[in-house]
Amino acid sequence: MAIVIDKSQRWRLVAAHIFLICLCALVIFPLLLVVSISFRPGNFASGSLIPETISLEHWRFALGLPVVNVDGREIIPDLPVLRWLWNSVKVATLSALVAVLLSTTAAYAFARLKFARKSAALTGLMLMQMFPTVLALVAIHAIFSRIGHAFPLFGVDSYWSLVLAYSGGVALFIWVIKGFYETIPPEIEEAATVDGATPWQAFRYVLLPMAVPILMVVFILAFINAVNEYPVASVLLRSQDKLTIAAGMKQFLYAQKYLWGDFAAAAILSSLPISIVFILAQRWMISGLTAGANKG
Amino acid sequence: MANLQFKALCKSFGDVEILHGIDLEILDGEFIVFVGPSGCGKSTLLRCIAGLEDITSGELFIGGKPMNDVPPSKRGIAMVFQSYALYPHMTVAENMAFGLKLAGYSKTEVAAAVQRAAQILQIESLLDRRPKALSGGQRQRVAIGRAIVRKPGVFLFDEPLSNLDAGLRVQMRVELARLHKDLATTMVYVTHDQVEAMTLANRIVVINEGRIEQVGSPLELYHHPANRFVAGFIGSPKMNFLPCVLVSAAGTGATVRLEDGTLLAAGADARGLAEGTALTLGIRPERLLAETAAGEGTAKTKVIVAEHLGDTVFLYVQSPGGTGQLTVKAQPENPLRTGDETHLRFPAKHCLLFGPDDRTLPRLA
Repeated sequence: MAIVIDKSQRWRLVAAHIFLICLCALVIFPLLLVVSISFRPGNFASGSLIPETISLEHWRFALGLPVVNVDGREIIPDLPVLRWLWNSVKVATLSALVAVLLSTTAAYAFARLKFARKSAALTGLMLMQMFPTVLALVAIHAIFSRIGHAFPLFGVDSYWSLVLAYSGGVALFIWVIKGFYETIPPEIEEAATVDGATPWQAFRYVLLPMAVPILMVVFILAFINAVNEYPVASVLLRSQDKLTIAAGMKQFLYAQKYLWGDFAAAAILSSLPISIVFILAQRWMISGLTAGANKG
Repeated sequence: MANLQFKALCKSFGDVEILHGIDLEILDGEFIVFVGPSGCGKSTLLRCIAGLEDITSGELFIGGKPMNDVPPSKRGIAMVFQSYALYPHMTVAENMAFGLKLAGYSKTEVAAAVQRAAQILQIESLLDRRPKALSGGQRQRVAIGRAIVRKPGVFLFDEPLSNLDAGLRVQMRVELARLHKDLATTMVYVTHDQVEAMTLANRIVVINEGRIEQVGSPLELYHHPANRFVAGFIGSPKMNFLPCVLVSAAGTGATVRLEDGTLLAAGADARGLAEGTALTLGIRPERLLAETAAGEGTAKTKVIVAEHLGDTVFLYVQSPGGTGQLTVKAQPENPLRTGDETHLRFPAKHCLLFGPDDRTLPRLA
């Protein structure tokens, strides 16, 4: 593997490294800034990156521990940040599961089965996803408040309504998974069919195990979406202890006063579940699961 | 163990008819090979047997039972795919056990069946490996093993050797022949390689453009092709074809005139055809003789290229009076070289005549 390298290559390598380091700094800087703000006393958005004094007041607030005020009074935090976080985890896990369930099966149908108006349906999915959610916000609220009259479980201020609303966003995932299924040679399922598998068994035992990496990607994307999503959550959830963290954090920012420090601490907390899910899912995201099926 | 029967089987994809009424009976235990150029419909016919394609019209019987509407899993067939189509996330043993597990066999039964199949194919040491850790030949064995374990009534092979290199192909060909002898199960084998067809088959079915051209034993097809297509397709190198005109026909043979005016006798019965009818003369390369001196009934021409292979010499010569090229498979002693002048001799009893409709005229003994 010892390829002869031109001398100019060395400088290009150095230049590339400098560029990459700058890029990393650019990406990491905002993150460090948020960490810094969360440890800085007072609620200021600006200031030096390394705080002069370290204060845990925002973190105590975010974690729901009593905070001693400037005038010596002890304040019990009135915003249930940890509760919001837990709500977010619940909603995100559920909606990611629903998204994976719906999109894998729908994508299988689009990739493998023959039915009338298939391409029209696919284009339709894409078109519907094209418009921003905010556009339909009023309608979403109206629909769910109406549903709530008949089925309170799916009404306003219920997680199930949120999960249902988020599951409307699977079109993109269907496209992604369909694209993956199409890279798997159909002979493998045909072999399973000849081996005696029903279409469901061929899907469950042959296609699905090969699709695990892409399912994990879809799960993570759906999970991140649900944790970050603000407009729908803010409209569908009302009572304070039911909010997701994205919707709840808005309450740090009053019209008169922006509690940037508390906001920053809560923001870092909200990134925790995403990081954990990512780390857990990573071991399944192995590439090359289909290697060896064919002549290769 | 099962026989197969096709009755006027047709298959269309949309408006395009691929198979135009296939009538065929395959006997129990027979090794039958479907051969034809690519796109002739032979793989489609195999997939119709497997149930991977539905039959547009006509009937298919396996073991005497109508199978048109029976799902693949209930047809008592096993199939080996050209691309092997192994399950990549399963080990070799799991790949082979998959069908039996689905059928609800007990673990010990499955293990025994897998072990026996692995023994037959000599892949016992590979059972715990994944397909990606196998070579092409090993993968092909696993694919065959997956078919064997299920003890099907009919084996279907879809060009199983075309992805292997030449050496391995010969070896697997021999093993398939041995496997058929050991299992004595009906096997239907699709290939475009006429050498595989000639070596493996009890009977060959030559298919062209969705129709059966001829069914027969390999040597029957070789010596008595029904028409020009079969004559050209079976045999390597290909049969030589020359345009000619009928001069006279008698009970003892026909006389034809080649493009350069040479008169030839051919052992074919051309009676019933008018004098002057345009025919095609066919002769196999090993029957055509290239001589250095002119004689009676020889046609003068030139050697374009001479290929010396050690045990044989292939002489590519100009078609007498025409622009085409003929192949002569000669003995290594043949002194002709590239660019030499030569005189072709056409032994009458080896000359086939094809009528205006491309059918072979009856041969006279």
